[in-house]
Amino acid sequence: MADAAPAGAPPMDAPCAGLPVLPALRPLLPGGLRPGSAVGVAGPGSASLGLALVAGVSRRAGEAGGAGEADAAGAAGAGDGGGWCAIVGLPDLGLAAAAGMGAAPERLLLVDEPGERWPDVVAALAEAVDLVLLNVVERPAAPAVRRLSALARKHGCVLALTGAYAREWPGTRLRLRVADSEWRGLGDGHGVLRGRRARVVADAPGRERDGWLWLPGPDGAVTPAGPPAVGPAGRPDRPGRPRLDVVA
Amino acid sequence: MSRVLVVWCPDWPVTAVGVDAGTPGAVVAEQRVAACSAAARAAGVRRGQRIRDAQRRCPDLVVRERDRDAEGRLFEAVAEAVAELTPKVEVVRPGLCAVPARGAARFYGGEESLRLLVQDAVVEAGFDCGAGIADGLFAAELAARAQGGQGGTVVPEGGAAAFLAPYPLSVLDRPELADLLRRLGVRTLGDFAALPSGHVAGRFGPDGALAHRLARGEEPRPVAPAPAAADLSVRDEFDPPAARAEQVVFAAKRLAGRLHAGLGAGGLACVRLAVDVGFADGHVLRRLWRHDGALSEAAVAERVRWQLSAGRVDESVWGGVTWLELSPDQLVPDEGRQEALWGRTAVTERVARAADRIQALLGHGGITRPVLVGGRGPGEWVVKVPVGDLPPGERGDGPWPGRIPDPAPSLVPGPGWSAEVTDASGAPVTVSGRCAVSAPPAYVAVGGGPAAPVASWTGPWPAVERWWDAAHARRRARFQMVTGEGRAYLLAVESGRWHVEASYD
Repeated sequence: MADAAPAGAPPMDAPCAGLPVLPALRPLLPGGLRPGSAVGVAGPGSASLGLALVAGVSRRAGEAGGAGEADAAGAAGAGDGGGWCAIVGLPDLGLAAAAGMGAAPERLLLVDEPGERWPDVVAALAEAVDLVLLNVVERPAAPAVRRLSALARKHGCVLALTGAYAREWPGTRLRLRVADSEWRGLGDGHGVLRGRRARVVADAPGRERDGWLWLPGPDGAVTPAGPPAVGPAGRPDRPGRPRLDVVA
Repeated sequence: MSRVLVVWCPDWPVTAVGVDAGTPGAVVAEQRVAACSAAARAAGVRRGQRIRDAQRRCPDLVVRERDRDAEGRLFEAVAEAVAELTPKVEVVRPGLCAVPARGAARFYGGEESLRLLVQDAVVEAGFDCGAGIADGLFAAELAARAQGGQGGTVVPEGGAAAFLAPYPLSVLDRPELADLLRRLGVRTLGDFAALPSGHVAGRFGPDGALAHRLARGEEPRPVAPAPAAADLSVRDEFDPPAARAEQVVFAAKRLAGRLHAGLGAGGLACVRLAVDVGFADGHVLRRLWRHDGALSEAAVAERVRWQLSAGRVDESVWGGVTWLELSPDQLVPDEGRQEALWGRTAVTERVARAADRIQALLGHGGITRPVLVGGRGPGEWVVKVPVGDLPPGERGDGPWPGRIPDPAPSLVPGPGWSAEVTDASGAPVTVSGRCAVSAPPAYVAVGGGPAAPVASWTGPWPAVERWWDAAHARRRARFQMVTGEGRAYLLAVESGRWHVEASYD
């Protein structure tokens, strides 16, 4: 499994399989997300990446990838097919996009305005849900970080950190970012956004994996994309307008 | 269907101001007769008459101003007389009170003997009254007024519709509906009840449907949560004031036991619990706790502890806790667990606990759950419902012509994220009334930032909403744009101003 080196104390009840991720992200995160770990999600595209992580954990039972893979079975708290997720301090996040990626909205909890009580809020949520997507809006104080990290490890909750101070969170061993991206579908005054072909990089110590994804694809889902065509910087799958032919 | 006994005191406003039935008297409000005694009625005085007309018909009429306080105060005596025989008296309005009849009738040997007993008790207390028993409050009130107010009657179980049939429509107390029905040739409750209920609901709306249910002798609405009765709340005093939270939490546990005993005796469950904590300086800390099952004693105690810690109570500031009160806030018949409060997915115990703790920190609206609903713009697709509240209806399945196509944007900021869109010459891009773009957009500056070149764009997509309602009408034209840096936005121009509706981050 990935990044086997534990960050601090070993997990209390270490399940060997991680939290499930979307099938398209599995090549980048083999084995899923390690319970109790912190994941940094930063830079452009962080909103989509954060939503993709949420969608992977909370996916509905019918879509949970029935391929019998080890990580699909290891979802902590996957009593009825998917886990619970919480989103803290991100009132602007487009939850319809999360649903398009496969998230189950009925298993999402939102705390839009935690204010200065955010450590207490995250502490309460870490005991209950499988993943907390947290907007770190201030430099986190070391005691709060230690307390939350310990709680997360104890209960197997993944902290996904985004926002201005996400990089300051100590003990983040895995970082996800969008390295290159290109939107498809728009022309010069016509067309409609069809999707974004993005190279997503998963940075773990000593190992960097990357892969091309549709983030999102035309139907809102996240799917693997092949490497870009090497042709001219044109738009290989641009919908364009069909050429009009004279028929009579 | 519940059996209800109604005690009706005729011409109560007149009785309340001290005029007895034998004296011609009238109570007036706003220069018109609000109620009159039997003797005055015999002389031709009617409700709604002007005082002058009433006095012309009955020259020795005693006229008094209406006194609503006295009506309520004096009726307490009637309610007490009834409560001597059977508890759970509900005062419907001064002059009319109701009690559930089933148990009491068994105890006193039949409904007719109960009716006579209650009537005698009220007459002994010094008030003329009629008493009637029937299915439901509406029929029981008419039963109490039957036979000219001389006694009332018992309508057998299931006989309400037949009993109500000959009454005129005016007893429904809906003048407009009665007037309309009369013009349609419907003159009695029986005629009205014979109409098909679906058509009545379609033609006369929910209020008409309610009246129709009454006319058919049914309950006005399917069982609705009853308001909490005052005697179900429990209270504990601390003397001397409790200085430590543990003391209060321990008392809360004991109180919760008493609360549950009271609720269980009434066959009720409460959906919401109000916890009030009073401090020595008069400060009161109040929180409502909603939950989707029975709160155990330990759970109530835990909530009180959270409430104390969330308030960051410092006893040196507020002088310690002097009293604690638990009141059930919304009562429903106990039907076991209410899954509906949480939608189809059952909430696990630990998620519910976490949500409760966050509500203690941030208030009831502090933690929400998203519900997907229909709409055109991305801002309308999601409704956030506080945890524990009922979600709005199911997802509206449209059609929503002009809906922004998939994929959905990943950032949907609230209003107020402005933008500037300019063409190659630096002039602002405008959209004419006929949806013609003044020039292809070349630069976009989002939120006052530096201008970025537009790599590709599409639009305008006109969105004209609520054009029939001048106050809420909106005319917008939407564009999708991708900047040279690879960022995609959904922009809208409205009244010449650009703003960012969503970002595809």
